[in-house]
Amino acid sequence: MTDMELATLVPDPLEEVAPPRRQHGAAAWAVWLARRLGLALLTLWLVSVLVFLATAALGDPVRAILGRDYNSNPGRVAQLEAQLNADDSLVSRYFSWLGGLLSGDPGTSLANQRPVWEQISSSVVNSAVLVLLAAAVMIPLAFVVAMISVHYRRRRPDTVIQTILLAMAGLPEFVIGVLLIALFATTVFHVLPAVTISSPNGHPWDNPKAMVLPTLTLVLWVAPYVSRIVRASLLEVIDSDYVELARLKGIPEKVVMRKHALLNAIVPGIQVIALQLAFLAGGVVIVETLFAYPGIGRLLVDSVRNHDVPMVQALSMIIASVYVVVNLVADLLSILLTPRARTAISS
Amino acid sequence: MNQPRNGMPGFSRRQLLKYSGIGVAAVAGSGFLAACGGDDGGGGSGGGPQKSGGTLIHGATGGGSKDTIDPHAPVTNPDIARVSNLFEPLLFWNSNYELEPALAESVESSPDGKTWTVTMRQGVTFHNGKTVTAEDAWFSLQRVADPKAPLSGGGQLSQILDFESTKVVDETTLQLVLKVPYAILDGLLAEYTVGIIPTDFDVANPVGTGAFAYKSFDPGQTSTFTRYADYWGDAAFVDELQIQDFADDSAKVNALQAGQIQTVDNLPYNLIDTIKGAGGGALVSETGAWIPFTMRVDVAPFSDVKVRQAMRLIVDRQQMIDQTLSGYGSLGNDLYAPFDPAYASDLPQREQDIDQAKSLLQQAGQEGLQVELFTGDDIGSVAPAAANLLVEQAKAAGVDVKVTKKTPFYDDNYLSYPFAQDFWNTRNYIPQAVVGTFPPDQGGTYNETHWDNEEHRNLVNQAAQELDEAKRADLLHQAQEIEYNEGGLIIWGFRKQVDGYGANVQGLEPSKYLPLGSYKFNKVSV
Repeated sequence: MTDMELATLVPDPLEEVAPPRRQHGAAAWAVWLARRLGLALLTLWLVSVLVFLATAALGDPVRAILGRDYNSNPGRVAQLEAQLNADDSLVSRYFSWLGGLLSGDPGTSLANQRPVWEQISSSVVNSAVLVLLAAAVMIPLAFVVAMISVHYRRRRPDTVIQTILLAMAGLPEFVIGVLLIALFATTVFHVLPAVTISSPNGHPWDNPKAMVLPTLTLVLWVAPYVSRIVRASLLEVIDSDYVELARLKGIPEKVVMRKHALLNAIVPGIQVIALQLAFLAGGVVIVETLFAYPGIGRLLVDSVRNHDVPMVQALSMIIASVYVVVNLVADLLSILLTPRARTAISS
Repeated sequence: MNQPRNGMPGFSRRQLLKYSGIGVAAVAGSGFLAACGGDDGGGGSGGGPQKSGGTLIHGATGGGSKDTIDPHAPVTNPDIARVSNLFEPLLFWNSNYELEPALAESVESSPDGKTWTVTMRQGVTFHNGKTVTAEDAWFSLQRVADPKAPLSGGGQLSQILDFESTKVVDETTLQLVLKVPYAILDGLLAEYTVGIIPTDFDVANPVGTGAFAYKSFDPGQTSTFTRYADYWGDAAFVDELQIQDFADDSAKVNALQAGQIQTVDNLPYNLIDTIKGAGGGALVSETGAWIPFTMRVDVAPFSDVKVRQAMRLIVDRQQMIDQTLSGYGSLGNDLYAPFDPAYASDLPQREQDIDQAKSLLQQAGQEGLQVELFTGDDIGSVAPAAANLLVEQAKAAGVDVKVTKKTPFYDDNYLSYPFAQDFWNTRNYIPQAVVGTFPPDQGGTYNETHWDNEEHRNLVNQAAQELDEAKRADLLHQAQEIEYNEGGLIIWGFRKQVDGYGANVQGLEPSKYLPLGSYKFNKVSV
């Protein structure tokens, strides 16, 4: 859809501002993008400092790893201390870690002496698949439910839907998961697997049935929230003057909903979906634990338990990067979809 | 005001709010849903002959990226399950915690206890078809007991083996020479950490002699094994064994209920009925595992033996078992190693005696005694619960116990807390006495109580060199009497091991040595 079409469909208060010259607009976009990317990198750098300091401030990692055996195993103490460069200063340790991270080598796991990346990579893929699968189900579902609600607004179906959504939004993810397991796997029906039993060297989705409950848990956890936000913004749009005008012009209600209302309601939707996706990247920890799903969440819990500092650092950085990237993409999309903001940048 | 709640001793609000707590509680609560879901039936593990074939999936508690498949350095529960099925030591601890021949037909000592002759069982083959020889046995012992870097199973062996003089006599005979006489060497050779491997062993493709052969291993997730048809003992019923890690208790139990896995180790006590309701069962075994209170005998107030005796009389042992172990425990008498043939079971069972405790405290001039007790979650969940219960029990004797929960407990101060707790697994008396009651430079790397009693030590050392069982038992009895009267440990009970199995699982028998019948999965059919 071109600018012109959008402008005719969606009357814009800033419409009278002359469209910028092409060259100038592109340069403005480049500047805007560069600034946002710079900010994102700055955020990640700050996160790296925080992650490093936080893991360094946890006390002597060697003692934490060896626990009770610290006193009786001086050989292993020396070995771990050498691996952690415990004698170097904090600053030089930070820069050697950051250097490794930037060159794609986040170090070696303390727990089993294997490269961190080798252990993380398959978990990252597994978690990404789970989150994306959940998003692919959740986004259309949330929008459809919101549109149904708006269609019946302030009538009984809307009230019922909103009550159910509100109740579900109040449930923590593990309660949803435990209830789903009891319902479909262990107690009432025995139709779905309760946990993911990994086949050796395979993927969790090799057995598609095992993906159902974790995905459903994430969907039911996040969808109510997204759906309620989308409904609220749809209602706001529907009551606006330009939708009123479109109706008065005699455009069929379906078209009004789809083209005029939904498109404008999508922007707050994108923001909330992005927030939820970023949230899922961290929140998947509990769902993965509950379903024994081999993803980054489970690995993070395990690494924290083992005091495996390089693993914790690498995983924290991955989760932080997901936050930053998802938010960046969401901002970009919102601006592209909001004519007012778009013209504000390019002028 | 809240209504007073009963039945949840030592369960703080914070613990209740912790995720795991809610998860488990919710799983237990799903028993409520079972009532709505109708009866699912299920065969249980009743009679009938055992079926061959199928896959047994074992849900192992814990594990993670720390997992290893090294035969001589198992750390986590899944590691122990793996090594127990892949590899075998020269001798076995059987399910009654007695020695039994395994890859060795016999292990016999010379009269002075310094030379031990190992005769290998004939016709045993490794998974790659190679015959097991004395050469392999010696290679394995050298690997586990490497004096420069002993692996977890070889600490003690590395100190007593004379590597120069030991020799392989022929294909089936190994002559082990020790630096000092050691009467219980055979016990060391029976640990699951001393499995026999071929001289060309490669940890990337581990070959052993067990009833299952290696197929795959993915740390923190799963490992698979196939039935070894040429096994020298009873070949397995199932065709394939899979050991799956579970970081979370409720996931493990859900999987068992859903029929995705057939066995689990360490079933939480509160879920026993849930599993039974789903047609499975709980396997309860006696163990010699204990969670003592440790009193340092070299600092006040516990340097006064009367205070130690009073503290031992303050503890209501049965209540400790009932409340912290849900009743799954057996009484302790301030002595460890209950399965040792020399265990002093004739010493009278110590019971709570508040009057006597008060009078001892009075004699010691310690009425109204105040002590700080250190505990922590990393000792195990039983420890903080027992510490809180002790506070209540001590009040009756006018002793004010203040609990300090440390995170982590095993830090710089471990082994210097005046009053604390610890955990120990099943062992016999001599090895336990050495690590737990000797000074650090004589092998007592975990001497929590700083016990330093020369008379006791001499008795233990003498017993370690005494080949005559009756004489050894007598020496150990004297040693135990000293600890019983003056020691710094309060041993209130021994934990029972509870494991779970699903419907149609047959062949599991309790074992005092390791969970799930010592993980002998060759005896299990599904």
